[in-house]
Amino acid sequence: MKLSGSILLALLCVLALVLTPACNLSKASADDKSKVHVGIVFDIGGKDDRSFNASAWEGVKRAAKDYPIVLRDVEPGDPTSLEPAMRAFAEKGYDLIIGVGFTQTPVIQQVAHDYPNLKFAIIDGVVPPEEQLPNVAYLLFKEHQGSYLVGMIAARKSQTGTIGFIGGMDIPLIHRFEKGYEEGARAVNPNIKVIENYVGVTDVAWNNPGKGKELAVAQYGKGADVIFTAAGNSGLGAFDAAEQNGKFVIGVDSDQNWVKPGFVLTSMVKRVDNAVYQIVGDTVQSHFQGGVHVFGLDNKGIDYALDQYNEKLIPPDVLKDVEAAKQKIINGQIQVTDAMAK
Amino acid sequence: MKLLREILFPLIAVLAAFLVGAIIVLLIHDDPIETYKLLIGSALSWPDGIGYTLFYATPLIFTGLAVAVAFRCGLLNIGAEGQLYVAAFAAAWVGITFGGVEGRSIANLSAWLLVPLACFAAMASGAVWGAVPGVLKAKFGSHEVINTIMMNFIALALVSYFTQYHYKAQGDPILQTVPISASAHIARLGKFIPGLPERIPLNIAFFLALLACVLVYIFLWRTKWGYEIRATGANPAAAEYGGISTGRQIVLAMAVSGALAGLVGVNEVLGYRYRYYDSFSSGVGYGFTGIAVALLGRNHPVGVVFAALFFGALKRGGLFVDIFTEHVSKDLVEVLKALVILFVAAELYFRGRLGRFGLMRRAKI
Repeated sequence: MKLSGSILLALLCVLALVLTPACNLSKASADDKSKVHVGIVFDIGGKDDRSFNASAWEGVKRAAKDYPIVLRDVEPGDPTSLEPAMRAFAEKGYDLIIGVGFTQTPVIQQVAHDYPNLKFAIIDGVVPPEEQLPNVAYLLFKEHQGSYLVGMIAARKSQTGTIGFIGGMDIPLIHRFEKGYEEGARAVNPNIKVIENYVGVTDVAWNNPGKGKELAVAQYGKGADVIFTAAGNSGLGAFDAAEQNGKFVIGVDSDQNWVKPGFVLTSMVKRVDNAVYQIVGDTVQSHFQGGVHVFGLDNKGIDYALDQYNEKLIPPDVLKDVEAAKQKIINGQIQVTDAMAK
Repeated sequence: MKLLREILFPLIAVLAAFLVGAIIVLLIHDDPIETYKLLIGSALSWPDGIGYTLFYATPLIFTGLAVAVAFRCGLLNIGAEGQLYVAAFAAAWVGITFGGVEGRSIANLSAWLLVPLACFAAMASGAVWGAVPGVLKAKFGSHEVINTIMMNFIALALVSYFTQYHYKAQGDPILQTVPISASAHIARLGKFIPGLPERIPLNIAFFLALLACVLVYIFLWRTKWGYEIRATGANPAAAEYGGISTGRQIVLAMAVSGALAGLVGVNEVLGYRYRYYDSFSSGVGYGFTGIAVALLGRNHPVGVVFAALFFGALKRGGLFVDIFTEHVSKDLVEVLKALVILFVAAELYFRGRLGRFGLMRRAKI
């Protein structure tokens, strides 16, 4: 029995080794009940997608700095884990539960119905008015407005009279980007040709940069010289294609101008961070309001990105016209078609 | 004595895995006691913990039984995953096509006909999907592991295609079929058990799973077919010599295995989502976890139930550990599962050690 003796000894050594750092364990499991508890459930992309989810994560982290909250997050990883994750927060009685992305809409509707005393927020969750719940804040963005402006920039910048659009998943939400973009471009040049492609019809379409690049190369081949992507991770493939072909691309959601400096004309930014920050703040100051919250050009929920990476790419006269159009949209003088409105 | 050993070894494996898990938790600077408290507490709390643990265990009982039956015939069914996808889609298809769903139905059957029909469709399609590799093995000797894996890919692609292009609601951004008819729903246990809210998806399929265990036991140990299957598994040459058609037993075992895996569709479609939701078994799927369940349950129906409950509890508790601890992620649970399997696999070694221990002690006396 020499062998088991030595194994036992080895085990004890390991334990001793391990217990030393264990003395200064983080006692973070201690829970302060007086604080507002905020739970956030990310989309499949995860919080480090440099785009949509990252922006939401940015927002809650900023809120956690400014307000006394307990913040927990979960990256479900696969679509079937979304519901259990959200229910876990609800079961623990979290005050505010945030769902990131439209995929979670049916889940949040269910869970919010089961827990009427808790508050929920869903980003991009479009629900018909009669089905909306009083304890859910539906955070929506007027993507068509921002898309209109980047469409204008694309059309002014285009020398071939052809521009491209690459959407991720072929769904109404993305048609809204497409329609706004097209309208903006036509406002500048009524004869402009817009080539549109979608990466796919399932949610893997958000995460297929190879296909994104393929579509971009094909569009550049057909004469497009600016492409607007609204395709999550797949869009990054188009950034590669832009660099290789010496053409332009327009980013989406986060400011992506820095990704390929010199080739990114601008980005249509969707300030998910601001929306999330605001809803957390509202909850902490106990004036949370359910129902639809719309973020557009007027309240800086939507914008186009201008920074050191692209300021030389957009001529001043174009910028002036775009700013003028922005004001007109805010005033209501220009009505951009919302492809999701029926 | 044999029974005690059958119970003891998986138990030791589990304890050993938790011990190693505790060391890992310490290494990533978290508190193992708090972590295990959270893990076990959230899996056994009433009503949500127990409800979800049993709900997660239900499909694992089915797939564990499926793998066990095939294993008793000397076959490794890696294809439970594909079998359950096909079956779940078939159950949804019956629930839509014969349930009076507007524009998609050819009949409107009552619940008394529709539910058994949907269950039968799930079992039958699972059985067919399982029998194909069985036939290939019996007729041509091609290995069932390769063929069941290949059948998994075919199953997934096929049901995704039908969902996307034929059974999805217009404009639905989520890849799922239209809902099945309400008369195809099976009741959630919250309806009968006071204190158990109906939002917990634990449903009658759980009892179906327990019933399946009893039937599998009777089938394997109390019928001629079961005897022939086990004989084939124990020694094909001897079975053949004894007058058993081993080819037929292989096909039979694979078909039964597939039918059992197919019952996952009943829990998923008729009892939980009321529609087919594409790749519902993603992550480490029910079919693959079923292999571990069968292994830990020692390919016996009773063992399978306990192993499935254990894995169900881990799934439930793992989520809470992931969310509500500072450093520990849900991968800890994957590590625990892997360790359990490792220790079970290393059982022969343990068995030799302890056996010698026993001998020595007796010698001393």
